[in-house]
Amino acid sequence: MKKSVIETVNLQKKYVTDTVETTALAGVNIQVGKGEFVAIMGPSGCGKSTLLNMLGMLDAPTAGSLKFMGTEIASATERHRANLRKENLGFIFQSFNLIDELTVHENVELPLFYQGLPKNEIKQRVDAALERVGIAHRRNHFPQQLSGGQQQRVAIARAVVGRPSLILADEPTGNLDSQHGREVMTLLSELNEDGATIVMVTHSPSDAEYAHRIINLLDGQVITERIHATSAALAL
Amino acid sequence: MFKMYFLTASRSILRNKSYSILNIAGLTLGITCSILLFLVIKYELSYDSFHSKADRIYRATTISSYREGEEKSSAAHYPLADLLRTNKNLGFEQITQTHGEEGGQINVLGDDGNSIKRFREEAHIGFVEPEFFDIFDFETGNQSAVASLSEPNNVILTETLATKYFDGKNPLGRLIKFNNKLTLKVTGVIPDLPNNTDLPFSMFISYKSFIDYSPYGDAKSWNTLSSTHQLYAVLPESKTEKEATAELNNLLVNHIPDKSANLPKEAYSLQPLKDIHFNAELSNYSNRTVSREVIWSMALVGIFMVIVACINFVNLATAQAIKRAREVGVRKVMGSSQLQLMLQFLGETFLITLTATLLSVVLAELALPYLNELLELEITFTVLQDPVLLFFLVAQVLLVTLFAGIYPALIMARFQPIAALKSRINTQKVAGLSLRSALVVLQFTICQVLIICTILVNEQMEFFKSKSLGFDKEAVVTVFLPTGEGKKLMPMRQELANHPAVKKISLASSPPSANFTFTGNFKFNNSSEDVPFHANYKMADENYLELYDMKVLAGRHYKDSDSAAYVINETMRRKLGIESPAEAINKTIALGNGEVKGYIIGVVEDFHQNSLRDPIDPAIILARPDNYWFLSAKIDMANKQEALQHLEKVWNKTYPDDVFDYEFLDETIERFYQDEARQNKLFKIFSIIAIFIGCLGLYGLVAFMAAQRTKEVGIRKVLGASMFNITVLFSKEFVKLVLIAFILAVPIAYYLMNKWLQDFTYRITLDYWPFILAGVVTLIIAIITMSSQAIKASLTNPVVSLKSE
Repeated sequence: MKKSVIETVNLQKKYVTDTVETTALAGVNIQVGKGEFVAIMGPSGCGKSTLLNMLGMLDAPTAGSLKFMGTEIASATERHRANLRKENLGFIFQSFNLIDELTVHENVELPLFYQGLPKNEIKQRVDAALERVGIAHRRNHFPQQLSGGQQQRVAIARAVVGRPSLILADEPTGNLDSQHGREVMTLLSELNEDGATIVMVTHSPSDAEYAHRIINLLDGQVITERIHATSAALAL
Repeated sequence: MFKMYFLTASRSILRNKSYSILNIAGLTLGITCSILLFLVIKYELSYDSFHSKADRIYRATTISSYREGEEKSSAAHYPLADLLRTNKNLGFEQITQTHGEEGGQINVLGDDGNSIKRFREEAHIGFVEPEFFDIFDFETGNQSAVASLSEPNNVILTETLATKYFDGKNPLGRLIKFNNKLTLKVTGVIPDLPNNTDLPFSMFISYKSFIDYSPYGDAKSWNTLSSTHQLYAVLPESKTEKEATAELNNLLVNHIPDKSANLPKEAYSLQPLKDIHFNAELSNYSNRTVSREVIWSMALVGIFMVIVACINFVNLATAQAIKRAREVGVRKVMGSSQLQLMLQFLGETFLITLTATLLSVVLAELALPYLNELLELEITFTVLQDPVLLFFLVAQVLLVTLFAGIYPALIMARFQPIAALKSRINTQKVAGLSLRSALVVLQFTICQVLIICTILVNEQMEFFKSKSLGFDKEAVVTVFLPTGEGKKLMPMRQELANHPAVKKISLASSPPSANFTFTGNFKFNNSSEDVPFHANYKMADENYLELYDMKVLAGRHYKDSDSAAYVINETMRRKLGIESPAEAINKTIALGNGEVKGYIIGVVEDFHQNSLRDPIDPAIILARPDNYWFLSAKIDMANKQEALQHLEKVWNKTYPDDVFDYEFLDETIERFYQDEARQNKLFKIFSIIAIFIGCLGLYGLVAFMAAQRTKEVGIRKVLGASMFNITVLFSKEFVKLVLIAFILAVPIAYYLMNKWLQDFTYRITLDYWPFILAGVVTLIIAIITMSSQAIKASLTNPVVSLKSE
């Protein structure tokens, strides 16, 4: 098996309020190998997004182990997690989450800007990313001037521009019509073929078909893992 | 990186236009006020600070101790300067004596020595020695002019007066006449003195001319003190103020001739030059002092204005933070650190503050002429050439940025990225709902304190105008009489009264209320001992009581010829221990050291002889025709012009060389309170602006809340809420805050105003209504501000508002 990008052992997350303790993740064990495209599915409230937040280092687990590239990060500080995030992860959201005040180009350069890369390099990489997702002609537009599909392409360009080890996508087609949805999924697929590791949360069975492996969650636990036939060879 | 921040900041400012306008407008107003107040304070503090020896220049002032209390005077005895000089200046580096006159009559003489032009000069005129210009750093141009001041009958003019008198022709060698007494040769012209000096002379007459001008000019009398005669000395660096004062007093004890036991004991005290402008106890030549309390209160008001504006900013920015939550989330996910986010938001605050400050500079420049007019000051505004002002502005931009920006920046930078991305941050979650409430309370407390103070200062001013002074000050014209023309007085009085529009004419040493008094010791009831207090002498003719409508409680007024008949006031009667006005009649009084004996012929009701700051003094009214310096004319205001014309005609006939320069007494008396009147105006303007800034913030806050609660409003409307219900819903919280602010403001304002009013012997009582009024006014303004937004929210179609999520 290929080296794991991310690996969880008995990963747990509980939310505690004054009166209620809610278990969002009740011991999840998964592994994602380099170059894999994994889809996480499950009904609302099953813990999909919580798991993605853990993998994305946006939140810390309550218990269990979380290893990123072989390093334990379950109890890492927010600052440490922020640094790892900055250098290794790309995010794609259902609601695109572009900054309205910034142009397409400026939105995409944001991760590089925070990584402190030199100006020339930033420009080259942003241009390449915009070309890659086919939105270069709109580089000076603001997000509201674009269609949903175009906005998601910008978000994808932003996710890949930092050349992350792992791309996390949360319902990337949730806000798009089916045609734009298909275009976005094709784009993700192509990125995966080019070598990107992707973990995607989705409701949509047809989107999940693009992945090599589908993990089904229910009540905070993995109930089934299905390897997609056409890519079984790649995953194992 | 900064370019990126700048871009985001400016786009965000442009995108949220109404929010930015509210913020910038509030800050601009607050900062403008602070700039203006800063300029005023800086100007006041700059008085006479520009002399190179300023730290070592002192004025010799006198403390006279009576059996009952002491009196401070800015005067030094006339012979002191000569005495010091014969004692090698007593170790002082330099000394100089001055005599100041508040204007006078100037006649410009032609080549034949005849008057060709007459001026009633309002500018200050000084009798000075050449040393004056060594001690004080006023620009003199050439030294020979200054040297000419060592000879009598020479005068140096400032450029303004030289131009005014001689129309730009060469004034050197020309003659002018001062008060029809002194003929002076113009020996020099110097640039006008700066405005910020308490030695504001426009004309410098050689001090040696003073001998011919004033009966005190012979410099022999140790019995007379006049605040117009002052002595300045430069202390050597090796000597302390204390040592010098001790030496000065030793000299006084050893040289002053034996004084009668009844005269006050006098001692000198050295007053630093830098204290003169701020010490109201001692007068100065500019007749204007500003107490340090007033300076502090102006500084405080300025700081308050900026705080109120900053609070707006914090409130609006934290409310606005919710809108920015997603952006924060995205930036965090993209790898921004908290510090980077904080810097970004502080950068935006900086940009807004900078914009507001630039606008403020323009606004302050536009407003300054009006402020100058209002406060009767001459402040100039040159930002780029004024390093202190520039420093103030830069420091203010940075402080306001930090004060207004740090909290919202901290709040936003601390958003948890997941919550921020999922719009799970709402008004409640932006920690600081309670802080924002506290800030609104603080803001409204400041506003209400300002309003209460304004109402009360205003009330005290009205009290000054309306308080019965014990005499009738309306429709009275007063004119200062030329001295040494006693014989003309009585015929002129007769002729002046001879017109239907003139009701009564009286001649006296001064009107009942004046900013100067003559006091003296006296004996009562055949005693050989002086009474332990001094009385004010009002020397007046037989028409005085009637013209001023002063109420006689017992006895009668005297006739002009009755030089031994005295009228006293009630305070005098009480202080002498006489039971009733009637009992006072025929009791004897011996004035001065017993030479003039007379008897009480009448008792009048108390009347104010000074401003209402001071208590009513015991007073003796007596006939002394040699000391009549004021003409009072009661005229028929319906025929004012005719009356004035008649007065002027008779005046010109009687005194062809003197300009008829009249004043209405009620206006003269109003001027007693000009400092308070200025403070009153200042308070009024700034409290209105403070309220306005506060309302801007409130408006923004409610507008934002309305936007946030659109869905709630929709649901409530669907469930049957009326517009009124919605308005109440929105207003309830803020009304509560305004009420809390009111409870805080009352004791603060009470304390401040109580302290302020203590300066006045006669003052308003602190009633409850100004407090209530301030509370109600603030509440109404706040409710109006809020209602507009609440009504707007409640008018929205519920279908639309429910779709907002």
